Amino acid sequence: MEYAIETFSLTKIFSDWWGRDRVYAVDDLNLQIRYNEVFGLLGPNGSGKTTTLKMLLGLLYPTKGKTLCLGGDVANPKISARIGFMPEESYLYRYLNARETLDFYGRLFGLPSKLRKMRIEALLDMVGLKAVANRPIGTFSKGMARRIALAQALINDPDLLMLDEPTTGLDPIGTRQIKDLILHLAKRGKTVLLCSHLLADVEDVCDRIAILYGGKIQSEGKVKELLQQTNKKQIITDYISDTALDKIKQIVRDEQADCVITSPMDKLETFFIRTVTTAQQLSSPTSGAISTTKIGHFLAPQAHPENILDELVSTSVSPEVPSKPPTTKQVIPAETPEPKPDEQLLSKLTEQAGPPESKPVVGTKPVEPQVSRKEDVKKSILDSLTGHSSTQKAGGEQTDKPQAGDSGNA
Amino acid sequence: MRSIWAVATNTLKQAVRMKIAVVFIILLIVLLPAMGVSMTGDGTLKGRLQTFVSYGFSLTSFLLSLLTIVVSVYSLTSDIQQKQIYTVLTKPIRRFQLLLGKLLGIILLDVALLVLFSAVIYAIIIYTPKFYKASQAERAQLDNEFFTARAGLIPPEVDVKQEADDTYNKLEETGQLPPDVTDNKISRENYKKNLEQSIKLGKRAVAVGHELVWEFHNVKPLDPNQSFFIRFKYDVSVNPPNLQVFSNWFAGDDRQLKYGAKVQTPIYSFERKDLIRTFHEIEVPADCVAEDGYLAVGFFNALLNNTVVIFPPEDGLEVLYKADTFTANFIRAVFLILFRLIFLACLGILASTFLSFPVAVLFCLTIFFTGIISGFCLESFDYLSKNLSSIYSYTVRPIVQLLPQFDKFSPTKFLVPARLLSWSLLAKVAFSLICIKAVLLWLVALLIFSYKEIAKVIV
Ligand SMILES: Nc1ncnc2c1ncn2[C@@H]1O[C@H](COP(=O)(O)OP(=O)(O)OP(=O)(O)O)[C@@H](O)[C@H]1O
Ligand SMILES: [Mg+2]
Repeated sequence: MEYAIETFSLTKIFSDWWGRDRVYAVDDLNLQIRYNEVFGLLGPNGSGKTTTLKMLLGLLYPTKGKTLCLGGDVANPKISARIGFMPEESYLYRYLNARETLDFYGRLFGLPSKLRKMRIEALLDMVGLKAVANRPIGTFSKGMARRIALAQALINDPDLLMLDEPTTGLDPIGTRQIKDLILHLAKRGKTVLLCSHLLADVEDVCDRIAILYGGKIQSEGKVKELLQQTNKKQIITDYISDTALDKIKQIVRDEQADCVITSPMDKLETFFIRTVTTAQQLSSPTSGAISTTKIGHFLAPQAHPENILDELVSTSVSPEVPSKPPTTKQVIPAETPEPKPDEQLLSKLTEQAGPPESKPVVGTKPVEPQVSRKEDVKKSILDSLTGHSSTQKAGGEQTDKPQAGDSGNA
Repeated sequence: MRSIWAVATNTLKQAVRMKIAVVFIILLIVLLPAMGVSMTGDGTLKGRLQTFVSYGFSLTSFLLSLLTIVVSVYSLTSDIQQKQIYTVLTKPIRRFQLLLGKLLGIILLDVALLVLFSAVIYAIIIYTPKFYKASQAERAQLDNEFFTARAGLIPPEVDVKQEADDTYNKLEETGQLPPDVTDNKISRENYKKNLEQSIKLGKRAVAVGHELVWEFHNVKPLDPNQSFFIRFKYDVSVNPPNLQVFSNWFAGDDRQLKYGAKVQTPIYSFERKDLIRTFHEIEVPADCVAEDGYLAVGFFNALLNNTVVIFPPEDGLEVLYKADTFTANFIRAVFLILFRLIFLACLGILASTFLSFPVAVLFCLTIFFTGIISGFCLESFDYLSKNLSSIYSYTVRPIVQLLPQFDKFSPTKFLVPARLLSWSLLAKVAFSLICIKAVLLWLVALLIFSYKEIAKVIV
């Protein structure tokens, strides 16, 4: 039980009806994905990523070799109850509306109706489709359907999440959200297998990647180790004077090294998110998805997520709520260096949306219940977005920027 | 169980929201009342209702059969084609549960529609007589011959093989066999068969001044105060004047006479004059049936006649009695349709486990139509297999036997002549059509589907 996913010389050969025209879609693949790992499966079109996933999920049978998911066979309902799967296209029932779709999948998991309803609302909130939840999926745009497909994969709070090109068709905010979600899930000890050829996405979230070509692994390893250029260094500073710059240049020259100095560019992603959130704040009408960076509260990283789930289902929530902040306070400084006060607020708010007993807690804050809460959420989104991108990128961009600078240099 | 139910309700929603069912519903809701008004039959009230029942039931069962085939095939093939099945089967649901859920959904749909339409038909049947003027006699006829469920008893076929053998042996001993047989121009077997035939005919023929008595057991009229009917048809050796036969009939428990005891149940007798080669019914009060269900019916070929009277085999003589109410019979007839639909649903699911939508529909329709003419199919196959090798009769014949026999158990066959469709017959149909044939289909479907590579694309 060391690995969440393990394949043993997995091979899939497609042949036509006569047994001719053999395609080696997957060729002698040995994958080992540890628990609590975010694993990226990369590769050009037709390299066998989807085929591998289908074999892992029992939708295709291997020509040779075998697979283990969570230490067992996926045909076993006990195993598949812990797996979430988002296919490469959103295969959903066109005649069901968004809420019914999630309800259907929730019932396939045998979730009790109370828990199901709560999760559905949380997920709809998270993917920003609450306003259109009663429209049939057939009328959804590609990205909106994609969001439901994502929500569908998360309804059972899976231990192992398999995402096949999750970000295709999604707007940048959705993409950002999926990436955040993956990080959150990883923080909660979940395992994620991500197939994609959008390298930026993979790079941001994956611990380990494998690059497939022709059904074979061409290269595999930790992202940091694969990408770090140990012979180059990057310094990021706040605004400093030209004289200071000159001094730095001098120092570098003394080391017999080259040096380029530029102002870092904002990522287009950051810019886009800022623009859309501004528009949302001005409440321009949209019939599409409302962009949020919320994570469904039952998926959000917490100290004891399982207990919280139970607490949420049980009706006696009000005595529990005041006791929560201490636990989160204890954990957050220990595990995550950057403080996220907005998210705490956010998850608290979504929690309160469920049970009606939450009023006394609201009373302690200057926030008014129904109408103004929405605004408050939005504000906190904005805060978290801007706060997020500055604090988180500080860590991420250190590995990010050198390449940009280098390519400019070369 | 929960997941089966989830799939079932989803299947129902699909059928409703994709408006597959709507077309059929509208068609029937419009057609049924229209038929109720426009169909007149032979002009009598009874004829009108009989025509309506016949067409109404046939149409309903035909359209629902088509609907069931289309929905059951579409439900699974579209899941596979549009790949929703990827997201469904990766959830904790076993494959047999998915199929079971689909089947359950379709059956629920069928039950709902069947209840709706049979209620419409029933209401029309019940209310039609109230809107039409009819004579007292016509209404009585309606009550006796339509709004009832009559059981029919046919005198049991007598086994005359022994008798034929005896006759043959006697002829052989006395050397009276015809020369054709002794010369082997006619095989002994055939001659024996001819002998049997003629003995059988003799048992149904009555010479002038003679009497023929049939004994029936297990006659169980619903209400002893009502009547039962002796239904008969004459054949003759020589055409009588005016094509009419004079007769004396009697009905009752003739055992009382034999033992010389006091008569406890009445014995009725009727003097009649009837046209030959047409059906006639004699109404007899049911209190003459003995306690233990025994009834004797006697026919006396009156001396006025000039001909031997023959009762043709099968429908020459029958005792009809009211065994149940029309409503109960109607409900059982609806069940008959439901069984048919369940069978078709299983068939549709089986077909869609390995065929694409159009091919699967075609496949099911073929089976459905051969089921409708199964009598013909079985006969022709029997005829063929007589002339072919035993290999043939051991391979093709059992498969042909597995075909559903929709025509043999068509509900109109019972409702139009107001024949009793007994629970035991219903159970028999359920057993053969569902417990054997449908379950067999179901198992094959399960076998195919369990081993199917779902994501394998077949172009
Ligand atoms: N059902 C099938 N029958 C025949 N060949 C198939 C089938 N499914 C996939 N293939 C072949 O297997 C190879 C791998 O396909 P796969 O879908 O796994 O690629 P992928 O890595 O997911 O590509 P993409 O990035 O486009 O999604 C391709 O060459 C494809 O043509
Ligand atoms: Mg793919």
